[in-house]
Order: sequence, then C-alpha cells, then structure tokens
Amino acid sequence: MQEIFNIFIRSIFIDNMVFAYFLGMCSYLAVSKTVPTSVGLGLAVIFVLGITVPVDYLLNEFVLKPGAMAWLSSDFADVDLSFLSFVLFIAIIASMVQLVEMIIEKFSPSLYASLGIFLPLIAVNCAILGGSLFMQQREYQSLAQATSFGLGSGVGWFLAIVGIAAIREKIRYSNVPPALRGLGITFIITGLMGIAFMSFLGITI
Amino acid sequence: MKALRNLLDKQKPHFEKGGKFEKLHAAFDSVETLFYVPDKVTTKGSHFRDAIDMKRTMITVFIALIPALLFGMWNIGYQHFLSIGEQPDFWTMFFYGFFKMLPIIIVSYGVGLGLEILFAQIRNHEVNEGFFVSGLLIPMIVPPEIPLWQVGVAVAFAVIFGKEVFGGTGMNIVNPALTARAFLFFAYPTDISGDKVWIAEKLDSFSGATPLGNAMIGDFSNMPSAMDMFMGTIPGSVGETSTLMILIGAVILLLTGIANWRIMLTVFAGGYIMGLLFNLWGANAYMEVPAWQHLIMGGFAFGAVFMATDPVTGTQTTKGMYYYGFLIGMIAVLIRVFNPAYPEGMMLAILLLNVFAPLIDHYVIAGNIKRRLKRLKALTN
Repeated sequence: MQEIFNIFIRSIFIDNMVFAYFLGMCSYLAVSKTVPTSVGLGLAVIFVLGITVPVDYLLNEFVLKPGAMAWLSSDFADVDLSFLSFVLFIAIIASMVQLVEMIIEKFSPSLYASLGIFLPLIAVNCAILGGSLFMQQREYQSLAQATSFGLGSGVGWFLAIVGIAAIREKIRYSNVPPALRGLGITFIITGLMGIAFMSFLGITI
Repeated sequence: MKALRNLLDKQKPHFEKGGKFEKLHAAFDSVETLFYVPDKVTTKGSHFRDAIDMKRTMITVFIALIPALLFGMWNIGYQHFLSIGEQPDFWTMFFYGFFKMLPIIIVSYGVGLGLEILFAQIRNHEVNEGFFVSGLLIPMIVPPEIPLWQVGVAVAFAVIFGKEVFGGTGMNIVNPALTARAFLFFAYPTDISGDKVWIAEKLDSFSGATPLGNAMIGDFSNMPSAMDMFMGTIPGSVGETSTLMILIGAVILLLTGIANWRIMLTVFAGGYIMGLLFNLWGANAYMEVPAWQHLIMGGFAFGAVFMATDPVTGTQTTKGMYYYGFLIGMIAVLIRVFNPAYPEGMMLAILLLNVFAPLIDHYVIAGNIKRRLKRLKALTN
C-alpha cells in the first residue's frame, strides 16, 4: 500500500512527465491557451493514461514478456514477444483514445470543439506511450502499482498544462517582444517551471 | 541639489527626440528619475491619485532591507575572524564584510541596470525601478566568496529570462532574485552549496556548515543555540541569518503597507504547521526539530518577508494569498526534511508557488464569478 502511494506521488512531482522528461510537449504547448480547455485535455490524458498503463501492464505480463505465455502451455515458455510492444501498446492507446473521443463528443460538445484535432492526437502523445514504456522498463510488480503510476503521471501532466495555461492567460496582455509571442515565450515559461519543479528532484520515497 | 538640477536640465535637450544622444534617452531618464520625481502626470481617464508610486515602493523595500544587509556585512567579518581565531573590534569586522559585499553589489547593479537600460532602449519603454530591489536581494542570498562573473551571469539570466522577455517590471512570472539564485544553484552547485562557501577565507579545519547543512546530514549535535539563530551570529548568506533584523524589515514593510500581511502570516503559519506535523510523525531526528526552529533556521524568514510578498509574482486575490502563503511555508519545510539533495527549501518553494500563483488566482476569481451569478439568480427570481 505504502509503495503504491509512493509511486503515485513520485510520478506526479518527481518524475513529472513534462518537467522531468519533457514528454507530451506538442499538445502541452498547443492546447494551453486557456484554463478550461487545458483542464479538459488534462482530464482526458489522466483518463487515457489511467486505462492504458494497466491494460498494457496486463498485456506485457501475460503476452509480451519473455516467458510470459507460459500460462498457455509449457511450449511457449521461452517465447519472447517484447519486440511487439510498440505496436501493441500503440494499438491499445489508439483504441482508448477513440473511446475517450466518443465519450467527450457525446457529453461535452463544446469541449470537443475546443480540443479539436488535439483530442485524436492524444493517441500519438508521447506522454501516453512514454507511460506504458516506463511501466515496462521500471518493471512494476503489480496491476495496482501500474495503475497508480498511470494515474499519477496523468495528474502530473494535468498539473503542468493547467499551470502553464493560467500563466499564459496572465501574460496575455504583457508586452512580450514580438518575436517571442506565442510559442517562444511558452518554451521559456516551461523552462522556468522546470526549474521550479526541480525542487522535488532527488526526494527518495 | 540645485546644481544637479541645472546640470540635468542643461543635458536634457541632447537626449530628447532629435538631440544628438537620442539613442541614450533611457539611460538619461533612469538617472533623472533616480534623483527627481518625474513631472509627467496622467491627464486622461479616471485614476486613483496617491503619493505611492513604484519608486516609493521600491525605496521602502530597500530601506526595509538595510538592517539585514548591515548586520549581514558585520556577520561576514565576525564569522571570518571567528574561524581564524581573532577578535578584532566591531568596525574591523564590519568593514571586512563591507568590502566583501561591495563588489558583489556593484556587479549585480551594474549588470542588471545595464541590461535594463539596453532593453528599455531597444524596446522603447522606460527604465523601471524594478531592479532596484532585486539588485540588492541577489547579493544578499549568495555566499560572500562567490566568483563575481557567476553573479554577473546569474543576474543576466534573471533579468533577461526572468523579466525582460515578459515585458519588464510588473509582468514577470517568477521572482527575478530567486531566478538568479536558482540559476546559480543548479548551474554552479559547488560554488553555492556545501560547508565551504558560507564563511569568507576561513581555515580549512574550521567547520563552516550552516544549521541546515548540519541538519541535512543528520548532525544535530553541532546546532547553534536558538538565540544565536535568532540573532544571526551563524554562518549563512548575508541576508538570511538574522531573524531579528528581518523582523525589523518586516515591521517597516507592514507599517507602510508595502507587503501584504496575509502572505507573510500564512507563510509562517504553513511552515509552523508542517513542522508540527513532522513533530507528530517523528520518524527521524530531523522531523523532531521543534516546529518554531524551522522558522528561524536558514532563509525561511528572509523568504517569507522579502520574497514571497513580491506583489508581482504572488497571488493577487485576497483569498488566493492565504493558499499561496500557506503552501509556500508547508512545501519549504517539506523539502528541507524530505529532500536529501537540497538543505534549503525556501527558494524552490517560492518559485514553485510563483508558477502556480496565476492558477490559484484563476480559480479564486472563477469561484467569485460563480457565487455572484448565484446571488444574481436568487435576486432576479
């Protein structure tokens, strides 16, 4: 239980997807213009990460890992399908994103309209694939750990995009040099936020 | 004074449009406003008329910093002579520290104001008094022996990326002084942390660890007494050691209404409550440090009084200030106790909340709008 909680906290603050690994930058930069939109996208990412990581965990555990198929019959005990991880992980992610898209379109058409192309693009959001690959690489021990890692990473990404959206709303009327307006200043803010998030770097829990 | 006014008036036409030094008008402007209040007044629209302006605000903060600065200078000398086992008189100690600090202050102001003037020139705005305080805060939070070029680089980074790219004074997201400190901390860690740096030219046999440095490695036997930590006769950066002097500054800031008491109070409250929680938990020796001691150790008081209360980078809404201050205090103590990488958490806690301050404001305002809409609905029905 303690370990699950630790993984959750660690993936939000210490191993933050955006500020520690700079993953998922494309939608982070593009959709962070207003807070409500970024909240919507952030929630979608939490949902997708929270589902894909545990599903991919099961897939990895029972199909892909070297010797994972031993539960079928002893003939498969030395089959190693891990070269398929990328393809299968992406397939799962894409189908989950499709699901999220349908749900959002049904229940919040306005959010669906404002997210636009970036909603289907969650499928190729590197933070999502990154979540599954980190899960595989760090060899989490149980489904619960993988789930808490997925949810935690999502919450970390959510915090990052909502934080920067609020800052971008605040600086909307600032006298930013013309050449830096838009993406340029967003990159600089991301860097400064990264410095601030370094406060948690090195905490071992 | 009259001669100065005459001199300025005589030079002024050269710097105005069409004059021969037209390009340098920002530099001239900054010199003029340093000595005289500009005679330009707003004529159109409705305005609050008040004697307070940015210049007066900045000078008040400057004055509030003076006690801590003077004490810090003396303390540099005191720590130095203590470490080599001499006991000279008061003025020797003070001037030793004074001449250690002076180059740092000069570099900080030189680089900072130079860049400000440059930006004002290129971007065609006026030089603000904004750097007046940051330029003094930076020397007060670095070690006395820091190489001067590092101060220059850090100040340049802070002024350009912390402030000017956002459009100058009043637009920045993170506190420029803390940006400079964080830049130094992550770029040149060996020159700004550890036991060696906090006492100028000390003998190697003498331990120069700060109380927080000792606490981090779990050495609680060498802790100075609470009285020493309160008075400030301990190793540490210039501004932070003396809680007493910082409190004098705090009184000045609060009486003049420059700093917001809500932020100051909640930062201390947050730190204290977090300390109490750790006391209850008590899993290791660091967690058993009395909660009130956290408030006088290291840069906690300095950050709470001079950094967290920065009106630009903090939250703007009244309700937001309580959350903002409280979280700063809690996270600062949390980082101290939990993070083995950094002995001091105050700097990073304030930076972190600077980043999230707009978000807090956003939700406070959204809450207000919602409540008023509800009230309106109740009225119209």
